[in-house]
Amino acid sequence: MSTVEDDGDTNSLRFGPSNDSEGGSKVVFLLKAAGGAPILKKKKWALPRTKTIGHIVEFLKKYMHLDTQQQQQLFLYVNQAFSPALDTTIGSVNDCFSSEGTLVLHYALTEAWG
Amino acid sequence: MSTSSIDDKDITRELWQSRLPICFILSDEDMSKVNRSESPEPLYLMLSRHSYFPCIIEKIFRYYSTYYKGNLNDQTNSINLNNLWLEYESIPLKWHYPIGLLYDLYTSSLSSSSSVSHLPWQIIVHLSKFPENELIRFPDIESIEAHYMTTLKEADALKHKGQIIGDMQKRDHKQLWNSLLQDKYEAFWNINIKLMSYTDNLQYFRYIPFRIYILDKPFMQKLFSPYDIEQNKWMTLYDLLQYTLNHEVQCEKLANEKKILNNNIENYRVIIHGVQPPLHSPIQWLSEYFSYPDNFLHICLIENQMR
Repeated sequence: MSTVEDDGDTNSLRFGPSNDSEGGSKVVFLLKAAGGAPILKKKKWALPRTKTIGHIVEFLKKYMHLDTQQQQQLFLYVNQAFSPALDTTIGSVNDCFSSEGTLVLHYALTEAWG
Repeated sequence: MSTSSIDDKDITRELWQSRLPICFILSDEDMSKVNRSESPEPLYLMLSRHSYFPCIIEKIFRYYSTYYKGNLNDQTNSINLNNLWLEYESIPLKWHYPIGLLYDLYTSSLSSSSSVSHLPWQIIVHLSKFPENELIRFPDIESIEAHYMTTLKEADALKHKGQIIGDMQKRDHKQLWNSLLQDKYEAFWNINIKLMSYTDNLQYFRYIPFRIYILDKPFMQKLFSPYDIEQNKWMTLYDLLQYTLNHEVQCEKLANEKKILNNNIENYRVIIHGVQPPLHSPIQWLSEYFSYPDNFLHICLIENQMR
């Protein structure tokens, strides 16, 4: 995700509060490890609204150097309860499930809440 | 809504029983690799609008694979269940969308005239050249069951903060899926009725699970309450659509998108389960009686053709 910026970068804040209900340009979300998955140093990410969950999954697989030969999978969860379909936009997930301006996604290598 | 009459329940039964006649035709490319003297006839099936293609994919594969006897083990042939995919008018069909939704979205949008009948729905079956970049590989039953369950959990998260589905036994979850597979209306609704109840002293769902589909766009999903407390009134389908379209347009403008969505409802036909419900229908009612088995209202917006 070449468009992902660190929380120290001012670019992700340029368009105003991203989790504002009127829809800022980028969605800010926190990634938390679940089910024994490796913990990421970078926890806060920002993406344009139209990027999909599938896009995030593919990016994280590469970022975390997951073994594609072994077909290692990565699961993303919302509310520690369900996995949005891979073609869901992060904008939709944010609009529906962010809490007090923050969207938290849990990631796991196994089906933690399947 | 507390005024549930016998008529309302009849509607859920009608929806459950609605079917689509579908004609599966082998692609020209795969037709050329058939090793029997006669070409495969098209396969005709009557399928539930609320079911999913992966539920019958083995049946399709078994039918066509008999024409490739002898070279199924040939590695160069790549004819296997894993490579099967379905196409309509050059569009690979997504596995995880209900059959009726795919039909309403694509046949209405791609027709030049709304009076042309698209039945039986003609779908091309491909046994090779899986479009990796456009389609996710998961045509097996376990994957689609997992998808169904997670969608149900998402719907309950919106309606009841996940309390009802969370309190349900695993065997109730299984009953929902199995009755969908086995076409058992009573067994399904015995459990589903629990997901249509109210919590937290409300007389309606906290938020309505819905998705709005417009051709060539990702689906839209927002938080929308079925009741306006301040104005003391029930929100309608029209209110939901207007809110969603307006919100989406605002997001597009903030993102400096070049092409902005048309947010005039008059510009669209609104289709759910193949029909156009009155726009003044209360959205709470639609959510209880017109949702798909995954508890979502899947709403297609078909742009009116320019004359």
